[in-house]
Amino acid sequence: MIACILIPGFALRAALQARPGLQLGPVALAPGPGKDAVLGPVTASAEAAGIRPGMRLGEALATCPSLTLVDEDPAAAEDAWEGIVRRLEDAGIAVEPAELGCAYFETRGVERLYGGVEAALRRALAAVGSGWDARIGAAERRFAALAAASVSRPGQVVIVSDSQTRDFLAPLPLSLLPLGQEQHEELEELGVGRLGELARLPGSAVAERLGPHGHRAWKEAQGGKRARIRGRRPPGEIIEGLAFPEAVANELTLRRALGALVEQVLARPERAGRFVRKLALSARLVGGGSWRRTLTLREPAAEVTRIRTALGPKLAELPAPVLELRLELVELAEGTGRQLELVRAGGADLESRLKDGLRQVRASTGTGSVCSVVEVAPWSRIPEARALFVPRDE
Amino acid sequence: MVTDPRSSSSVRAAGRVNAPQPALVEQGFDGTPRRVNREGVALVREEWRVVDRWWTEEPISRHYFEVVLEGGRNAVVFRDQERGGWFSQRGA
Repeated sequence: MIACILIPGFALRAALQARPGLQLGPVALAPGPGKDAVLGPVTASAEAAGIRPGMRLGEALATCPSLTLVDEDPAAAEDAWEGIVRRLEDAGIAVEPAELGCAYFETRGVERLYGGVEAALRRALAAVGSGWDARIGAAERRFAALAAASVSRPGQVVIVSDSQTRDFLAPLPLSLLPLGQEQHEELEELGVGRLGELARLPGSAVAERLGPHGHRAWKEAQGGKRARIRGRRPPGEIIEGLAFPEAVANELTLRRALGALVEQVLARPERAGRFVRKLALSARLVGGGSWRRTLTLREPAAEVTRIRTALGPKLAELPAPVLELRLELVELAEGTGRQLELVRAGGADLESRLKDGLRQVRASTGTGSVCSVVEVAPWSRIPEARALFVPRDE
Repeated sequence: MVTDPRSSSSVRAAGRVNAPQPALVEQGFDGTPRRVNREGVALVREEWRVVDRWWTEEPISRHYFEVVLEGGRNAVVFRDQERGGWFSQRGA
């Protein structure tokens, strides 16, 4: 079975970790800089006061004048999520994180270890920790598992068998589907408010009206695909940080600090001479917020100047003065050197270079993004039956 | 147990190459496409039918049109006569 762990309002919970006193009051995640003035997730107390996620800021403050707004803290959220995923991995579970606060795993590998599906799910909940109010659900299909997790209560385990999937999904709201605001509104105007109502419509009519996204949503409403889960490869942990005695906004100072960080992180013995494929630059901002950007290099490198040049422009995106700057080596290549070529490469050399290039693409776009085309019936009169995309993980 | 993601025994989902994509097609009185994804059709170059797998539970019956759009682009669209609806497809 596929299990889904869901932590509703994860970004807000992560931002409140540093301010536990606010957790019980009416609090909402403030809109990010340059985004629409609408609220992010809200606490239960804010919800009781009539505040809803997605509400306009002005309307929310008029409805609940005591509402406290907290800024998003992406670096704290990343750290907290990494901690949760690692605790799950320590419990023997191969996790595929979908986004912050949502992850999937196959129960098959741990059912015998913990004595059944339900016991494995309870173990996963315990690994996440009680402070996060995690929800868990399991089903034979990925979307059904997500739906099961989103209707379960904290501490409750919801398991949906394949035969029950359509009946289980039918009364659930369309908000579970990955549709845009306009498509939700269009469906609402057509009187379609539940997954079951959408699933009953002819697929081709939904596709004509709502396009490919609508067709995908229609398939999800039917239960979704039986896509397999791919456990992630745990990232390396080579991090260097620099705390400033006072907040710094000057770009020149920040560039110098970045240069020092790059030198320090490349000098770490754990790197063992390997080249860097992917980095993350994060900052703790004045006023309590944080900022984080990840960067995949065009080709793996270990030269200070190249990495500094690649990361430099990111500093211009900092929204506020910085209290602390951190640089993390997220993924390292296996090679420890680069030989310039005297003669044109061929055979095994070319193949190993191609493999390295594909690894680079995978690092930047995620697993499953590199596929080979395998011909299965090239003689077929049906174009889509002639060949398949097969994901290449190595 | 944490499975090695590099393990060759892991099951991976394959996708179809040239899978049909839903298309917005306005057709004329004779059933030929007039507009494809809101772009006018300048010329219908060719049309053909594919009827296959009629012995299975998922029979295929399609009426294909190769058209030249007003922007000069070539496109292949078909009407699915089993389930209804128009689709565009590469590799046809």
